[in-house]
Amino acid sequence: MARNIYREFLELCAFEGQELEEMVPVWEKYSALLGLSEEDVRFALDEWIPKYWDIQYLGVRKMIGAYIREAIEIAKTPEYKEQGVKIVYGILPAILTNYQAMKIAGGDDIFVSFPDMQLVTILNSFFHKVDDYLESAEETGMTYGCRHCALNKTRIGAFQNKVIAAPDVIWSWGFNCDEGPKTDEYINCLLDEDWKYVISRIPHDTHFGTIDDEDEDRVVYMAEQMRDGQREIEEMTGIKVTKENMLQAVKEQGRYAFKFSTLTQLVSNGNPQPLSGSALTNFGQGMTCPFNSGLQYIEEALDIMIRECRQAKKAGTGILPKDAPKVASYFVPFCVPWVDGIFKENGVGTTFSLTFTVTKKQLEPTKYEDPYMQAAEQWLKMAFGQNIGYESKNMIEKVEANKPVDGLLMGFFDFDRWLGAHQKMCSKIIQDATGVPTFYMESDFWEDRDYSPEALRTRIESVCQVVKMRKEMEM
Amino acid sequence: MDKKIQSLAEAYKKRPVELKQAKKDGKKVIEYIGHFVPEEMIRAAGAEPYFMCRGGEPEPPDAVLEYMLRFMNPLARSMMGYHLMGLDPVTPMADLIVAQQADCHIGRITELMEFNELPVYKVGVPPDWKKEFAGEYYYKALMKLKAKLEEVTGNEITEEGLKEQVEYSNAINESLRKISDLRKKDNPPIGGYEFIRLNHYSFYTDPKETAGKLEEIYEGLKDAPGKFKEGSPRILLAGHAVAIGDYVVPRMIEENGAMIVSDMLDEGLRWYNWDIPTEGDMMRNIWKTKYLDKVPVNIFQPAWRERFAYIKQLIDENKIDGVVWYQLSFDEIYDMECTCLAKWMKEINMPFLKLESSYEYSREAMGPLATRVESFIEAVKGGM
Repeated sequence: MARNIYREFLELCAFEGQELEEMVPVWEKYSALLGLSEEDVRFALDEWIPKYWDIQYLGVRKMIGAYIREAIEIAKTPEYKEQGVKIVYGILPAILTNYQAMKIAGGDDIFVSFPDMQLVTILNSFFHKVDDYLESAEETGMTYGCRHCALNKTRIGAFQNKVIAAPDVIWSWGFNCDEGPKTDEYINCLLDEDWKYVISRIPHDTHFGTIDDEDEDRVVYMAEQMRDGQREIEEMTGIKVTKENMLQAVKEQGRYAFKFSTLTQLVSNGNPQPLSGSALTNFGQGMTCPFNSGLQYIEEALDIMIRECRQAKKAGTGILPKDAPKVASYFVPFCVPWVDGIFKENGVGTTFSLTFTVTKKQLEPTKYEDPYMQAAEQWLKMAFGQNIGYESKNMIEKVEANKPVDGLLMGFFDFDRWLGAHQKMCSKIIQDATGVPTFYMESDFWEDRDYSPEALRTRIESVCQVVKMRKEMEM
Repeated sequence: MDKKIQSLAEAYKKRPVELKQAKKDGKKVIEYIGHFVPEEMIRAAGAEPYFMCRGGEPEPPDAVLEYMLRFMNPLARSMMGYHLMGLDPVTPMADLIVAQQADCHIGRITELMEFNELPVYKVGVPPDWKKEFAGEYYYKALMKLKAKLEEVTGNEITEEGLKEQVEYSNAINESLRKISDLRKKDNPPIGGYEFIRLNHYSFYTDPKETAGKLEEIYEGLKDAPGKFKEGSPRILLAGHAVAIGDYVVPRMIEENGAMIVSDMLDEGLRWYNWDIPTEGDMMRNIWKTKYLDKVPVNIFQPAWRERFAYIKQLIDENKIDGVVWYQLSFDEIYDMECTCLAKWMKEINMPFLKLESSYEYSREAMGPLATRVESFIEAVKGGM
């Protein structure tokens, strides 16, 4: 009997019962619109996902399922647009509060997503298949040699290939890189004048070591940017976000962040380590990327994953033997999960991402009542929002708080003139302060066309050797 | 004429020695990065400014790689690279390095300066320039800079002092405009290569004397015969920056039979087409001219359609035959603008050449560069 690849794939993602029956034809249709052939789905089902993802856990399979739901949502945007649903996009990195508040306010009348982020995550993490989008963008003129960001290329490629509809508005946060918001001007100038955007930006002008979130002027300005952006979006969509919507979004985000922090602790402190860094980091996306299908699916997966990690701890089981060394990362490159795989092959686990780990200060209650001031303060407490001196100080705190850390992997952001540019300096600062050996690896977080497993294997193996040797000497 | 230009070049070379003496005499030396940092404010505070925009050599960009991602543009990397190599005579004695913060390249390079404990001061320039409150952010940044300069120098920046310095700058601009306008002639007596150098040297000479020296040059040029072959293609040079010392490309364009008769560069050259008004509140005047009146820089958003409109105006005013877009390697936002410009240039049938430099001008790199420039110029000639 011939296999039904689509059904098997959804079963892998923990769909079941009536919903499974309903979803099979839906997935078949929309996976094709995303550019996935039946063979691509089979490859993911039989080879890629079993090899690189910890699918022995229901939590991981449900997490993949949550992403698949979102992939289908994104592929439906042309239909949504025809139906009159307001489409709002955003880009990474951003605080989700505003976007989630819009979804809470608008319900089914609004579609909210960071389509490039979701598409890269879904297509490369689980199918190894985002290259078509990237090449499409390069054909428009995003030159290959200039090291443009794969996220931005995916946005261009997805629109160019009609996978996603033009939004009613994209709210581009330009609080980090220049290329993200400028990509929308690029699309507007080159591909479609109806690609409407709102940008929110702030100069990187705090001095080394300044505590960004305590700079009152900065908090006020950033809040003003957010408020102004929200106002423009509301004018363009006709959907009004109330203070209650914002507060509910803040509450939901806080709840998810707390749960994710719990999972991070379980993974970082677990011995043996219960879950890979890639999977852990992918759970973190619930804090950085809105899900139009709602947080409930990924949050359900997260709840299950926390339970399963606790069970693994009790049972003394994990993804690596007891006492295996652990390497933290600036950001575990979950879109190229073979990096994690090579570490594991060499007996080393990747654990938490500095960017997704919270400081004590981030968990403290805000001093502001205004939701925009709260969101601004929240952003400036995050690593993304800080000057290198303050960010490094916080990285040191995170490394110390999540020890044992046998090594720290930096890099994988060679396409980003902000988040990637300073990492060599951070490495030096952190290593000097914590004694944890840091390793800088020039590579790409989102895609692997330039950095193949063959190219990075030797480097990763040598990192593993150093880490293991140090660990053995300490024991 | 060459002697007069040469005398300015000598003044440029002697500037570090002058600064050393000025330090001994108790003056403060303040380096600055980017045109959103008004040199007039530094002068009005009684300090000696030094424009940091040196480039065109391959080693300094590589010198920062121990600390910095390699995919940063070579001009930004050079700003710290010369210092790390011990080839920057001014930075070690600078009392302050004032850097505009408008883009990530300069942003992270100034953090590298801070990492190396250099005395950096940042001036934030929001790129979303159409928003009133973003403009106010830059204005406040200028006011904070004013306070900082007063603190460092111990001198008050007065309205009169600012006005005086702005008048010097405006006089320099006017002289440069007059010289540049000579390039509108069918066969101009000066090309882009010389004009760019003149423009560069004007940053390093005493502003009280610079306009006068430029006027002398203008007087010598205005009735001089053309220096190009009849029928040479007229080129507009556009892009990010021609750094001080990075003259290979403009020279190559002109050595291969074309003449650069107009320019639109965001950095390196004075914004000589935009004078700062001298009536009213000087800080507001400086702010408005730089932020709102000047054609937007590439990083501003939105900017590219307005920049294209300005380029079209330059094309018409200067009877341009072809546009050369000069881009620095890994300058991602200029790379994106270039794609849009290429499309729009095609729509108006304007020949367009994109050149990119990593400041690697080895024999191996020069060959293909020269071939592209030659082919472009031949193609433009063929279409004239």
